[in-house]
This record gives sequence, structure tokens and C-alpha cells, in this order.
Amino acid sequence: MRTTARVVVPIILVVATSLFLQGHNLPGGGFIGGVLTVAAFTLVYVAYSLDYLEVGVLDREVDYEQHIGEHRTVAAYRRLFMFGLALTVASGLVAVALGEPFLSQSYTYVHLPLFGEIEVASAIVFDTGIFCVVVGGLLTIFSVVGAE
Amino acid sequence: MEPELWVLATAVALPFVAAVLTPFLYRVVGERVGYFGAVVAAVSFGLVLTQAGTEGTVSASWIPSLDIAVRFHVDGLALLFGLLASGIGFLIFAYAGSYMHGMPSLGRFYMALLAFMGSILGVAFAADLVFLFLFWELTSVTSFVLIGYHTGDAESQYSARMAMVITVGGGLCLLVAVLMLAVAAEGAGVGAFDLAAILENTDAVRLALEGNGLFVPALVLVTVAAAAKSAQVPLYFWLPGAMVAPTPVSAFLHSATMVKVGVYALARVRPLFHGPEWMVLVATLGMVTMTVGAVLAVVADDIKELLAYSTASHLGLMIAAFGFRTHYGPEAGAFHLLNHALFKAALFLVAGIVAHEAGTRRIEKLGGLWRDLPVTAAITAVAALSMAGLPPFSGFYSKEILFEAAWETAQSVGGLAWLYPATAVFASIFTVLYSLRFLWLFLGDRPDELGAVPRAPTALAVSPGILAVGVAVVSLVPELAIGFVVDDAASAAALEPVEIHAGLPTHLSGPVVMSMITIVVGFVTFRYYGETKEALGRIRAGTGPLHPTTIYDQVLSVTERASTLLAARVHNGLIRSYVWWLLGATCALAVAGYASTTAGIPALSGGETPVAMGLVLGVAVFAAVAITVAESHVTGVLTLGILGFMIAIFYIVASGPDLALTQLVVETLLLLIFLLVIEELPAFYGELELGRTLKDATLSVVVGATASLSVLYAARDGSNAVTETASYFVDNAVKEGGGTNVVNVILTDYRAFDTLGESIVILLAALSVLVLLTMRDRGETR
Repeated sequence: MRTTARVVVPIILVVATSLFLQGHNLPGGGFIGGVLTVAAFTLVYVAYSLDYLEVGVLDREVDYEQHIGEHRTVAAYRRLFMFGLALTVASGLVAVALGEPFLSQSYTYVHLPLFGEIEVASAIVFDTGIFCVVVGGLLTIFSVVGAE
Repeated sequence: MEPELWVLATAVALPFVAAVLTPFLYRVVGERVGYFGAVVAAVSFGLVLTQAGTEGTVSASWIPSLDIAVRFHVDGLALLFGLLASGIGFLIFAYAGSYMHGMPSLGRFYMALLAFMGSILGVAFAADLVFLFLFWELTSVTSFVLIGYHTGDAESQYSARMAMVITVGGGLCLLVAVLMLAVAAEGAGVGAFDLAAILENTDAVRLALEGNGLFVPALVLVTVAAAAKSAQVPLYFWLPGAMVAPTPVSAFLHSATMVKVGVYALARVRPLFHGPEWMVLVATLGMVTMTVGAVLAVVADDIKELLAYSTASHLGLMIAAFGFRTHYGPEAGAFHLLNHALFKAALFLVAGIVAHEAGTRRIEKLGGLWRDLPVTAAITAVAALSMAGLPPFSGFYSKEILFEAAWETAQSVGGLAWLYPATAVFASIFTVLYSLRFLWLFLGDRPDELGAVPRAPTALAVSPGILAVGVAVVSLVPELAIGFVVDDAASAAALEPVEIHAGLPTHLSGPVVMSMITIVVGFVTFRYYGETKEALGRIRAGTGPLHPTTIYDQVLSVTERASTLLAARVHNGLIRSYVWWLLGATCALAVAGYASTTAGIPALSGGETPVAMGLVLGVAVFAAVAITVAESHVTGVLTLGILGFMIAIFYIVASGPDLALTQLVVETLLLLIFLLVIEELPAFYGELELGRTLKDATLSVVVGATASLSVLYAARDGSNAVTETASYFVDNAVKEGGGTNVVNVILTDYRAFDTLGESIVILLAALSVLVLLTMRDRGETR
């Protein structure tokens, strides 16, 4: 199980990122990318444990006596979904500030070396917000419930 | 002259802004924050005053697609009400500054009081039905907070809840009436929620209302809403209960302003609903309340209770006045609105002083206070004689006009309408009685057990003093008040030109005789006050089971028992039953929705089904059946996984890659979650109970049937052609959204608001899990 997770998790994460980025023109998007990322993290939890990310990857101390609600990982997730919600709302408010209705989107083309012509849509900001909310929200639930 | 939008918006918004700041300010300056409230009220008063003489509607767009706007309308009636609210508000804040000295949680108290003042100004000037309703409900909510000021006191809690139930219940009636009006106005081609436009095109809106058959229902609902707010029979009983609030609140909310919101609303819509139905309903309601309130005020034992019942009685007078068809009606109503606010607020403040200094509010324990409180006694004399309606005090003028209205109505209608003047006289006799009784707190014999009564501090006497001066000015030169605002106020509610004459009668006429009977009988009966009170008290005790309070308590306890029973069934702590009720209710609502559409059930269309699709769906059905007979959780969940993946494949076959992807990912996630919790679950399902299985089976069938029905309705035309909406999205996704993935463009652009809502759902789920677990770990469980 752990071996599989070691191999699979990076692949899932890459796929999730690509799904998220191509979302505007091909199947994918913030929600799907987010859920897939959650799947990757959940796999880590099932294979290792909740504290593996803290102890094994980031090499931090973990206070096992602490209540799960104040757990550092959970707090990070909580910050993530708050950030996500703020981002979605802010992306909508920018449109209001520009005199458009709330949440209206726009797009433009940018030329980058190496990639060629790339389309940048303002919807990506909104989608990033959704991504963060999904990842943060679901992982909060999973880590808290999983710790039971 | 047109009113200024920014002035009105500031006058209404300022109290709310100040209310938000109050708790912070309270931490800095302590209880002196009351004087901050007085300043705010004075500024609002000044701003409203600058609009005197203007008339018209100003608006700023809010939700143009629904025709909802920040709309203010200024006319005499709105000005009168707005000036009273902010002016008396100023005096109340000044009075409260010393009256509430040393009381707890003053930050919250002043916050609610300021928010209340903002809401009442909003009601006065709002010319948009949605706005009006909003402010209307806000007055109920702030009133609830203020009545429940003594949060730990059971009586306070009971009264606050009673006031809330009655006034908010009335508010719901208003909401329905507002929607009816909006529908009619839209049908008549007037802006849907634009009250000012509705009142300008009363004939068209009225025709539309009658065309829909909504005229009488809307009229009744508005009247019920106003009756609840303005304490009319049989909904008057919350008002005496509200007297548990501190005296400044009683003086401000429950005599001068909030309870007049109902009267004000009726005056506003009078031009629209005016007619025979209006008079029968509104004038009768007002007359009955006027009588019942006056009789109950005589029976009262407590000075605030006496004033509360008397307030209900005077509100009845105003409502009855607006109910009459003749032009005297609105004249009496508008003039009494002013007079009553002045003398009743003064009397409440006097009651506060008496309770503060003498330490009791029992009527029989008080008397002969004029030696102890000479200034207060003088104030009381002016205000109480005005309340009694004795000439030459202001209350006499407005009551005389009411008598004229009742007299003229009786003359023109005849028959049973003669009951109106008769009732008016009967009620007014009791008004004289209780007014004199209140005055006798200061004049009569001083009871021996009444201890030393210290002089009232100047700060307390100033506010009622100013109000008494107001009463005196209106009494001496009524033309001043009439010319300034009352005439305009009356004409806003009248259909014909009005011209108020206030003065002492010069020749004998019907109404003058009515006044003479009232005063003479009142004075004669006052000698037998004790006997009258005792007799009435016996009648009151004898009719106990019929009292609205008793009925209210019974309804409430039955409702409580019923909800406890219901909660035990629906909300029993088992997730199983939650799911059952949730799904059942969803299906019931969906099916009810389909049933209410006129379209019948669409027939099955036998389109071409590809073999692959049939195969995939066949496996899915097989898996679904297999789940029901699975022996353990592991097999069950794995089979469920098969079902999910089959659906994903179905999406691919039906060319919906986005859906397929989502389904796959969610399915995977579900499996992982299951792995997380598998240790906690029992290995086997255990024995099945027949009853529970049947119940669950029924639910499954119902859910399945509803889902099938939904599919049939969604694809009702049977062809595979692209619908109009779909082709719009396909055509415009690249052009406007800049993305070739139409689904995603819809999610992030066209329907971004929905997506935002969904992300908030995820967030709330996460938060509730956190909160639940934290609460459990803190030991907050049942």
C-alpha cells in the first residue's frame, strides 16, 4: 500500500494540476482538480497517517496531546479554504470595481517564450479560489474525521 | 420642491452606523454613550427638518431587474412621523442618560435603541415595498431586544417573546399583502415594488387587485399586520406585557413610535383601499379597541399598565379615524398622531420619574405627590388633561374632529352606523376616567405608608418638560402645528382636500353635545371610580377563559407539545431517519412542483439506444441489485463502486467528459473515505427488521420514481435537438468567456454565482464538522 502510494501520489498530483489548468478549454477545472488533489492527500493519510506530512515530509514536531481542531495541519487547511473563499469573492468584486456585474469574467492572450500563445482568462482566479475551497474544506473534514 | 436623496439616506442610515459603533464607544466612555445617541438623534432630526416643505420621491437603483430600489418618499405624513421619531428619540436618549444610570449592558441597550430609531425613520420614508417590509421587521426585532432587556428575568423573556410572536406574525401578513400588491401593480403596469407609484395610480392598481380577486384579502392582511403592530383587538395583549422594558423604551417604542407604525401604514394605503369594506373593517376595529383599551386602563393596578392600555385605546382612536370615509377622518388621525405622541411620551416619562422616586408603580399606593414632585405634577396636569380630551387642551381638538367624523358617517350611512358615535362617547368617558385617575396620583390624599419621596433630578424632568411645553403650544396655538405639518399629513391620507379647524366650539352641534356628555359623565363617574373599577374587575375576572392572553398561552403550549412530538420523530439523532425525512421531503416537494405545472406526464419516447450504452446501464442495474443483497460493508461498497464507474462510463458514451471525470474522481474519493472509516463499522449488517425494511424500500421506490419523473420532464420534447439555452452557451462560450470548455465557462462565468454558493456549502460542511467535534471534546453533549 505504501509503495503504491509513493508511486501514485505524485502522478495524481501532476494530473490534478494539469486538469485544473486546462479546465478552461478541455475537461477539468477547479472542482475536479481539487477533488483529485484531495484524493492524493487522502491516499497519503490512509497509507501513512495524518502526521506523516508534518513529521516525515516537513520534519516538524507534532504535539499529540493537542486537540484536533487546533492541529497545525487542520489549521493550515482551514486557512486554505478561507483564502479560497476570499479569492473567489475578491475576483467577483474586481469586476464590480471595473463597473461590470458581480463575478463577470474576461480574458486576454499573452505571449510567453517556450509556450507560445497562451490565453489568460480572469476565470482562472475564480477557479483557483474554488480549488482552494474544495481542497481546504474536504481535507479539513477528512483529517478531523480521520483522526477519530 | 424635491427632497434630497442624500439627506434622507443619511438621516436613516446614521442611527444604524451609530448603533454599530455604540458597543465600542461604550467601552471607552461608559454610560455617557447615551448622550452620543442623543446627538445622533438630534442630527437625524435636523436632517429631516431640512426636508420640511418638500414633497416627492427620490430613488437610487438597487435591483433594477426586480424593480427594487432605495426609494424614499417625502410628504406631510412621512415628515410628521419622521420628525416625531427623531425628535422624541432625542428627548428619550437625553432622559435615558440619567434614568439608566448604573444599569448593566447599556452598550447593547443603546445599540438596539439607535437601530430602532433608524428603522422607524426607514418606515417613515420608505417608498419601496421591500424596503418598507425590511424596516417594519427591524422595528419588531429591536423591540424584542429592548423588551427583553432584563435577559435573566422570566417575565421579561415571556413578554419579549410574546411581542415578537405577535408583531412578527403580523409582519408575515404584511409580506403576503406586499406580494399581492406587487403582483397587482405589475399587472397594472406600475413598477412592482414602487409604493409611491402605486399610490399615484391607485385606480389602476385597485382595478388590477379586484381583477385578481385580491382586493379584500390584501386589505384584510394589511389590517391584520397593522393591528398586530398597533396593538388592536384582539392582538393588543402584548403591549401591556411590553411594559417590563425600561421606561424610556416604553415611552419611545410602546407609546410614541413603534406602535404607531401600524396606524401609519394604514394611513399610507388609505387612498388605495378606501371604500365601504375599508370603513367596516378599519373603523370598527379601531372603535372596538378604543373601548376595550379604555375600559382595561380603568381596571389597571399599575401606572405603566394603565398607560399601556390607554395607548392601545388611543391607537384605536387613530385607526378608527383613518377608517372613516369623510375628510374629517384623516384630519383627526393625523392630528391625534401628533398629540398622542407628545402627551403619552410625557406621561410615560412621568411614570418613570414616579417609579424612580417613590419606588412603586402600584396605583393605590401612590397619591398626593404634588408636594414632593411639583414640576412633575405640573407636567402631568398638562399632559393628562390633554389625554382626557378636555378643552382647551390639544387632545380635545383631535378628539372633537373624530367625533365630527363619526357623527357625519352616522348621518350619511344611518342605521347601525350610529353605533360609531355612541361607542366613541362611551370609550371617551373611560378615557376621562383614567386620565383623571392618573392625575390623582399627584392630587389625591397621600397614603400614610408612602415614605419620603425625593425631588426628581433636573436631568429627568427636562425631557417630559419639553414634551409638556409641546403639548401646551399645540393647545394654545394649534394653527402653528397644523400649518407646519399636520395639514399636509392629513392630505397625504385623504382623497379630498382637507382643512383642519381646531378651536373651541362656538355653536351647539352633534359633536359638541358628544363632547359635553363625555366630560360631564366622566367627571360624575370619577366620584365612584373605586366602585366602577371593582365592578369592571369582576367582569374581567369572570371572562378569564375568553381573554386573548389565555388563548395565546393555550395556542403556544399546544404548538410546543406538537413540535416536541414532531421533533422526536424527525429529529431523533439517528442519521438513518434524517436521510429518510430529507429524501422524502425532497421528493414530495419535487413531485408537488411537477403536479402544479399544467403539463401532463410526458410519454416515453423510444429513441435509438446504442448497444454500448445499454450494456453499461445493464451492468449498473445489476450492480445496484447486488448492493441490496450484499452481506458485508466491504462487498456493498465495492459493488457501489462498480455502479459509480458504470455511470462514469455512461457519461463518456453519452459524450459528457466533464461529468465522467467528476464522477470518476468522486467515486475514487468515496472509496478512499470508506477505507478511512472501515475499522469503525460493524462487519455485518445484522438482522433485518421487517418494518424498517419496508419503510426504506418505500423511500427507495419513491426516490427512484421522482428521479425518473425528473428525467422525463427535463427531456420532455423527446428530440435530441439542442435547446435554446444550450446553443446560446455553445455559441457564446468562446466569444464571451474565452474558453472552449463550455461546461467550465458556465461554471466560472455565466453561473459563477451558483459555483460560489456551492463552494460555501463545502466550507460550511467543513466548519460544522470542526464545530461538532470541538463541542463534543469540550463535553457539550446531551
